[in-house]
Amino acid sequence: MANAIIMPRQGQSVESCIFTQWYKSVGDEVKSGDILFAYETDKASFEQEAEADGILLAVFCEEGDEIPVLQNIGVIGQAGENIDEFKSGGAEEAPRTEAVKEVAVEAAAEPVAEVVLKERAEGEKVKISPRAKKMAEEKAVPYASLEGSGPEGRIIVRDVEAYLASTPKTTPLAKEVIRQEGLQPAATGTGLDGTVKAADLTATNPVYSGDFEIKKLPNIRKLIAKAMHASLQNSAQLTHHLGADARRLQALRKQVKAKEGAPNITINDMVCFAVIKALKQFPDANAHFLGDSVKYFNKVHLGLAVDTDRGLMVPVIKNADDLSITGLSNQFKEVAEACRKGSVAPELLSSEAASFTVSNLGNYGVEMFTPVINLPQVAILGVNTIVPRPADLGGGVYGFVPYMGLSLTYDHQAIDGGLATRFLKQIAIEIENLTIDF
Amino acid sequence: MPKSQFIDPAKVRKSGVLKINDIPVNQYDKSIEEEKVNFSKEQFIDIYHDMVLIREFETMLNLIKIKGEYEGIAYNHPGPAHLSIGQESAAVGMAYNLGVEDFIFGSHRSHGEILAKGMSAIHKMDDEALTEVMKNFFDGTILKIVSENHQGDLKSLARRFLIYGTLAEIFARETGFNKGLGGSMHAFFTPFGVYPNNAIVGGSGDIAVGAALFKKVNQKEGIVVANIGDASMACGPVWEGLSFATMDQFDQLWEGAYKGGLPIIFNIMNNQYGMGGQTSGETMGYDIAARIGAGVNRDNMHAERVDGYNPLAVIDAYKRKMELIKDKKGPVLLDVLTYRYSGHSPSDASSYRSKEEIEAWEAQDCIASYAAELEKAGVASSKELEAIGADIKELMKYAMKLAIDEEVSPRMDLVKHPEIIGDMMFSNESLDKMEDRPVEVNHPMEENPRVQQIAKKERFAFDANGKPFSKIKQYQLRDGLFEAIVDRFYKDPTLVAYGEENRDWGGAFAVYRGLTEALPYNRLFNSPISEASIVGTAIGYAMCGGRVIPEIMYCDFLGRSGDEVFNQLPKWQAMSGNVIKMPVIVRVSVGSKYGAQHSQDWTSLVSHIPGLKVCFPVTPYDAKGLMNSALQGTDPVIFFESQRIYDIGEQFHEGGVPEGYYEIPFGEPDVKKQGKDITILSIGATLYRSLEAAEELEAKYGMSAEVIDARSIVPFNYEPVIESLKKTGRIILTSDANERGSFLKDMAQRLTELAFDELDAPPVVVGSRNWITPAYELEDYFFPTKDWLLDAIHEKIVPLKGHTVSNNFTNAENIRRSKLGI
Repeated sequence: MANAIIMPRQGQSVESCIFTQWYKSVGDEVKSGDILFAYETDKASFEQEAEADGILLAVFCEEGDEIPVLQNIGVIGQAGENIDEFKSGGAEEAPRTEAVKEVAVEAAAEPVAEVVLKERAEGEKVKISPRAKKMAEEKAVPYASLEGSGPEGRIIVRDVEAYLASTPKTTPLAKEVIRQEGLQPAATGTGLDGTVKAADLTATNPVYSGDFEIKKLPNIRKLIAKAMHASLQNSAQLTHHLGADARRLQALRKQVKAKEGAPNITINDMVCFAVIKALKQFPDANAHFLGDSVKYFNKVHLGLAVDTDRGLMVPVIKNADDLSITGLSNQFKEVAEACRKGSVAPELLSSEAASFTVSNLGNYGVEMFTPVINLPQVAILGVNTIVPRPADLGGGVYGFVPYMGLSLTYDHQAIDGGLATRFLKQIAIEIENLTIDF
Repeated sequence: MPKSQFIDPAKVRKSGVLKINDIPVNQYDKSIEEEKVNFSKEQFIDIYHDMVLIREFETMLNLIKIKGEYEGIAYNHPGPAHLSIGQESAAVGMAYNLGVEDFIFGSHRSHGEILAKGMSAIHKMDDEALTEVMKNFFDGTILKIVSENHQGDLKSLARRFLIYGTLAEIFARETGFNKGLGGSMHAFFTPFGVYPNNAIVGGSGDIAVGAALFKKVNQKEGIVVANIGDASMACGPVWEGLSFATMDQFDQLWEGAYKGGLPIIFNIMNNQYGMGGQTSGETMGYDIAARIGAGVNRDNMHAERVDGYNPLAVIDAYKRKMELIKDKKGPVLLDVLTYRYSGHSPSDASSYRSKEEIEAWEAQDCIASYAAELEKAGVASSKELEAIGADIKELMKYAMKLAIDEEVSPRMDLVKHPEIIGDMMFSNESLDKMEDRPVEVNHPMEENPRVQQIAKKERFAFDANGKPFSKIKQYQLRDGLFEAIVDRFYKDPTLVAYGEENRDWGGAFAVYRGLTEALPYNRLFNSPISEASIVGTAIGYAMCGGRVIPEIMYCDFLGRSGDEVFNQLPKWQAMSGNVIKMPVIVRVSVGSKYGAQHSQDWTSLVSHIPGLKVCFPVTPYDAKGLMNSALQGTDPVIFFESQRIYDIGEQFHEGGVPEGYYEIPFGEPDVKKQGKDITILSIGATLYRSLEAAEELEAKYGMSAEVIDARSIVPFNYEPVIESLKKTGRIILTSDANERGSFLKDMAQRLTELAFDELDAPPVVVGSRNWITPAYELEDYFFPTKDWLLDAIHEKIVPLKGHTVSNNFTNAENIRRSKLGI
């Protein structure tokens, strides 16, 4: 019976060998143990002995062929035997390994991150990579307000790039101005295709651009800014103006001044006293608007706007409706002084503490203004200066009468125009008919 | 394992008795009277002179150390002084018969040997040769100093030269024999045949064998003497040196002029103490050190104990042993018995020995008793001898004054030349060959079977259509190494290569296949399995002027040559004041698949040691180019190779690996793939995993990665990496070395410093775990893979959209692992 000659397996990792030489020719007699052929791997050369006696009937490979291991490379048998079943290919294309792909195709760009802006809490650290920071500073990107997409929320270059992609082009001068002056870049500009120019950044003439200094806001300013801005953003404010005959007030003031030892009751004290009386009749104005509900107060907690060196403060007089005019006057003086000294208790400054606020600019000669509501209060009264006005004095006589301007700003979300008007009118009536004991 | 040597079971299994020949002990028994036929009066007196010279030199140093002055001259020497007072006869006896062409190597206690061998050379050299040496050494600097006010003959000038050069070296002066960079324990002077003394106990035990190998392979005149202490006989590298020196193959396989034993004498300067440890009776078991010869070869290494207290006994032994070596019957082991009165060092209180013992030896003092014998035999009068002593004292005072004079003998000026030592760390020369003579090879290169086989291979991995050729048809990394090495064997006649299984087998990873056919035994041979001797002998071989490729089969075995790789190989170029060059290319193969003691990448360990060049090429083109550079240079190179990729084809260099000679300069990283979004810097075989990761980053995440192959580690040019970082802003570094203390950390730190503003994330290192390497089947949990790289990028550099991690690269995990030390 014929036997196949196979390419031996040399070690685990060898898949094929190079055939180097037959020591016998087809037709030669072969004895078991004769050196039959030679082959090599990449590590060594080997010689193979015949494993059977017989005649070398056929060979399927020649020098230099690469043969997979365990494949038939020849046949030993007796003369005349059929060898067809052993023909398994001889030198065969070696098994193909997957081509290592040459990276030729221009790779798709790394996906651009989405821009997410965030407001950082006070004292929250901005995590940003050195490269992203350098780029942000160069390109005037306000990186502190970017949400980072890197590990642990770190702002990385792609976040800065995304921001830049989302904002209009900026001229080099504008970039320089933004960087130097720490300005926020404008959302759109007036240049071609919305390019932001330096002029878009600031109203000042660039010629004088060096004639200023930039100071950080003190905390109180930040709080006022925030409260005022929030007030206008979150309510529906409008203001009604109305005048009150001030003759009675002026007469009372004269009496106070004339009487020796009397407390120094000011016009403002008297106005506030009148306001309290009006508020008792209009509980809708002595309230907080809470969005889906309204908080009505049983007592009047009157806020009074006070101008101080540190900025506007609005201290509150709790239970002001319990006070006599003298008590009210005294308390106003105390609390205003405390504000100016900075020793006022912080809870008295909260806009939540007051149920209504009076802001008096009469002293400064302001004739009309639109005060801003201290949310969540529903209204605020602005008190203006007293001006003489022509009036029908009766009997066909016209003369000049001193009138005090009253400006009521109210939140239309909470109060309608009619009620506001009636309330404002009531204040005027109270002022015109005021009686006080002192 | 040559096929010509048949191991016959019938013979080796036969019963019998091993007979060991007698080892002579202190057999010399001649009087001066009897020796008069062998020595002239002058020679007798020279011996006396040389001993007194050493005694006075050491006494001077001892006084400087303990009293801060000598003969009224004050000086503070804070450096070491391991003195050999008492051992003078052993040193002079050893050196007496040696010629200038004979080399000695020594220990930390070798001042006496330097002076003895130096004087021996001066006695033997003619005036012309002496002048030549002194004029040429450091451009005559020392000669100029000692010539001033010199009266007398040239030999006395040479004696001044020797004493001053040695002393200035001990005092770390730039005018010393090694520019003050060697100092007391490392001083030497090769023109007189004094080779490096070694501060590591037994350090010369294998290095000196390499010197003897150099003499044999390059057919140089002379023998080598390894002066090592009795206590060093316990050191592994000394035994490895003995084993290497006594290999049967020198006698049985090497042919022609190369046949026969190595020309070396292991001279045990047996002062009977290793620091305070008494070798006979306490710390060793040999009783008489000469016994060791019986354990090494059939000839007992011709060992004998010689009475080193009698210079004539030592001279007699050397005369006989040098004859044996001339007959190629080396090596020889001598146990030269001696005694030091001085402590191990000046801080030694001699608490380990009795006063009586010291006095008993002093009573038989080698110099005093020799002097008495000379007088008794009428060779010299006491007056003559006293005059010699007085003359020597004057010489010492002269040399000391000169050597401590800051004007004449300044130290290196590191203020004026801050980089002067840095400039000496590497010799950076480019030499085709270390000697100019024909190479010895067995046949023309084109007849070599390996060369013929490589000629049929595809030198680029892909065909014109980008389809890879089958692995076996590709020109492989091992072929690149082979081409560079065989080329050098046909250029440089001094080049030798050895290591485990380098011959016949062709190297365990078939790099040397074909070299056995091309080279005789004396250029390529199998060493014992002893890495200390493989590297140690290579150091000695290179010190003497040869070029050599020792091979460490697995990187893990590098530890076995720790002292040689850490303390010897990197140090000698600078420590010699650049007198010595060190063209030693240590091939180190990094394994895998074979577990914890066969798979480690220790590139970081050697990179930490100043004075070594380190590279790790991973493509056939780079392997050939860097091996060419290594072999063209004159510096020690640790040349890493990876067993994962010996069969890798050339995938990068267009046009394939050039057939001709080319060099790739050390230190230049190579961009293997361009990219713009992230840089991957890889050392070693992780290059291919980095490329896989780059492919996936591109396909799945739209990021194009730039892949840089470090190729070299020391030196390393950071500029191309910084350029890449400027583009990408991100970098991940990877290698198979375990992550803690990996050289990649050094690179990451340096890049952070050099390119901080370019970074969009911290440089991230991905190495293997700080574990033992597990079995092959578990290696993906241990070594970095493509997935590890992606996970680390996702976690630490830039989150990859939709990527799910399978490995924990978080900070918390990092801290946890660090706390546990894993």
